[in-house]
Amino acid sequence: MTPMLEIRDLHVSVENREILKGFSLTVGHGEVHAIMGPNGSGKSTLAYVLAGREGYEVTSGRVEFLGQDLLAMEPEERAAAGLFLAMQYPVEIPGVANMYFIRQALNAIRKARGESEIAPSEFMRKLRSAAKLVGIRDELLKRDVNAGFSGGEKKRNEILQLAMLEPKFAILDETDSGLDIDALRTVAEGVNALRSPERSFLVITHYQRLLNYVAPDVVHVMVDGRIQRSGGKELALELEEKGYEAFGEAA
Amino acid sequence: MTSLAVARRRAEPVPELGSLFERVRQRLPGREVETLARIRETAFARFLELGIPTQKAEEWKFSPVLRVINRPMALARRPDLPLAELSRWFAGGTSARRLVFANGHPLPELSHLGGLPEGVRITSLSRAIAEMPGRVAEVLAGLDDGRSFTFLNTALTECGALIEVADGVEVEAPLQLLFLSAGEASATMTHPRLYLRLGEKASLHLLEVHAAAVPGPVLTNLVFQIDLGAGARLVREKLQLGDEATSFLGRTVMRLETGARLLDNVATLGGGFVRNESELVLDGPGIEALLNGVYMPRGHEHVDTLIRVHHRAPRCHSNQFYKGVIEDKAHAAFAGKIIVHRDAQKTDAYQANNNLLVSDEAEVDTKPELEIYADDVRCSHGATVGDIDAQALFYLRSRGLPKEAAESLLVYAYAGEVLERFRDPVLVGLARQAVLERVPGGEMLEAEGLV
Repeated sequence: MTPMLEIRDLHVSVENREILKGFSLTVGHGEVHAIMGPNGSGKSTLAYVLAGREGYEVTSGRVEFLGQDLLAMEPEERAAAGLFLAMQYPVEIPGVANMYFIRQALNAIRKARGESEIAPSEFMRKLRSAAKLVGIRDELLKRDVNAGFSGGEKKRNEILQLAMLEPKFAILDETDSGLDIDALRTVAEGVNALRSPERSFLVITHYQRLLNYVAPDVVHVMVDGRIQRSGGKELALELEEKGYEAFGEAA
Repeated sequence: MTSLAVARRRAEPVPELGSLFERVRQRLPGREVETLARIRETAFARFLELGIPTQKAEEWKFSPVLRVINRPMALARRPDLPLAELSRWFAGGTSARRLVFANGHPLPELSHLGGLPEGVRITSLSRAIAEMPGRVAEVLAGLDDGRSFTFLNTALTECGALIEVADGVEVEAPLQLLFLSAGEASATMTHPRLYLRLGEKASLHLLEVHAAAVPGPVLTNLVFQIDLGAGARLVREKLQLGDEATSFLGRTVMRLETGARLLDNVATLGGGFVRNESELVLDGPGIEALLNGVYMPRGHEHVDTLIRVHHRAPRCHSNQFYKGVIEDKAHAAFAGKIIVHRDAQKTDAYQANNNLLVSDEAEVDTKPELEIYADDVRCSHGATVGDIDAQALFYLRSRGLPKEAAESLLVYAYAGEVLERFRDPVLVGLARQAVLERVPGGEMLEAEGLV
């Protein structure tokens, strides 16, 4: 079976500085992989490169998403193919209502897949249940996208979109940062509810605490632009104890 | 200053314009009232003396007003308009009262002023001239701002209204002033004059809509004097929906007294040449004024906003939030000045002008200015000219929106955000529709949820 995601020897530079230095990773269907690493190890770069943000130069390597050449696709094509990035810093878009934005996104993806637009009543039903899942108040659905949202509300809003767009592969980029323990638990419960044999996750985090709630199948330690070690969830605990320095030296 | 330098800052009116007053004075309303006739005559003489500002004049540096005004133009006549179609520009909802003007002439068929509370007096200028010429003379002569277009208006005005709200009267129903233009084969002009006085603690929600009912070259030269008594509250919302052939010179001169509150919203969404001038004098302590606006010129349109806020008294708070989206070969200019006079301690004043250029050939000139003579104040300003926000664009695309649709949505949002400070839902609906029509690729966006 073709893996969900296969990254082979990926080298990426930003403004002529190499950030990813031969990164390789294979994620199977239904798996949850965690990537842990210190600041500056290239975790967010990896997330953005996979989602197709501009400003990252891929100098060599390959990424296949369900057998397709991911790097050749536009960001919206990646979304339509089933990739989703929950961002570390969700963008505020004053002037566009959250609900409108989510409906447009959902319909754009459906359209790209040759499906019909979602019926308004079905959309509302789905939105209400997703909002309940991630603990988002109705009022935030009517407000402008992320505008004036607290840090926690922005993160919940990311997971709300994840629940609405139902991607095949979701990257959570430091979704836990800036969350208090209650919000962390709600967000994690949301993610767990969305786990399925057809959906894989890449959970990028600096700390181990999110992994207490979202149990990963595999944990990878990323230092200096590549994976230094992989293991089971006990690796996360080891990291918490010893810190990243021990792994940096292994390079 | 040499007289040559002065001469270069003003141009003489073309003969047809220079002799217009002589040709029309015998049919202007109030011609038989000596004081009025004299005021008009003096005003026209001042206009001729001041001439028409060229782009050498600092305040007209970016706006070639000569091309729209210095040409032969007759005073616009009352057009025949299909009345049934005009209600699409009605705003304010079912309770609204309304004065409708076509090329400046009142359309009583569509106007509705019945049932206003006691203490509210709305009089069309022509009726006011007939019934209280002394008051009209006072109003016309009461504005000597040294501006040639104000004098031109005083000399030639045929229409408009006097709106007076007595002390303590809070007018619930919005009042709409609807100005419709109807072009003819040759260029015409109209000079409406408005006067509004809110008494102490009075309040009013005023809607001012300008629309081109029939496309064509009509120049509107509007002068609006507003006096807000102590503690009065005014919400004024102006929507401009002209076409490429219409020109608009609008000057608002407003005096606010102690504790008055103003929300002034402007959406300029059409007009070949638009100049909006606002001069505010904050004349008592504790006044709050918020000036909020959006302009979105496209094609060859030109929109120029000039704002002067005079802080003359302590503890006043003024904010200006103006945003523009400039498309195609359009041109926008913004000049805002906050003047804090010596006694205006504890002034809090802010001004922001942000612009989005969505075409390589679009142009914007923005000039924020502060002039401060007091020492204990908080004043700041900021101006930006930029492109579509790359982060926001990526965010939308990463959610599946195609690039073009995402760009359109961001342009819409940029302009639409300003409309969130507007109050009247009907006017906001009209404005949002006009914004959407102006967004490049806006037809790709689903209107439901946006408009």
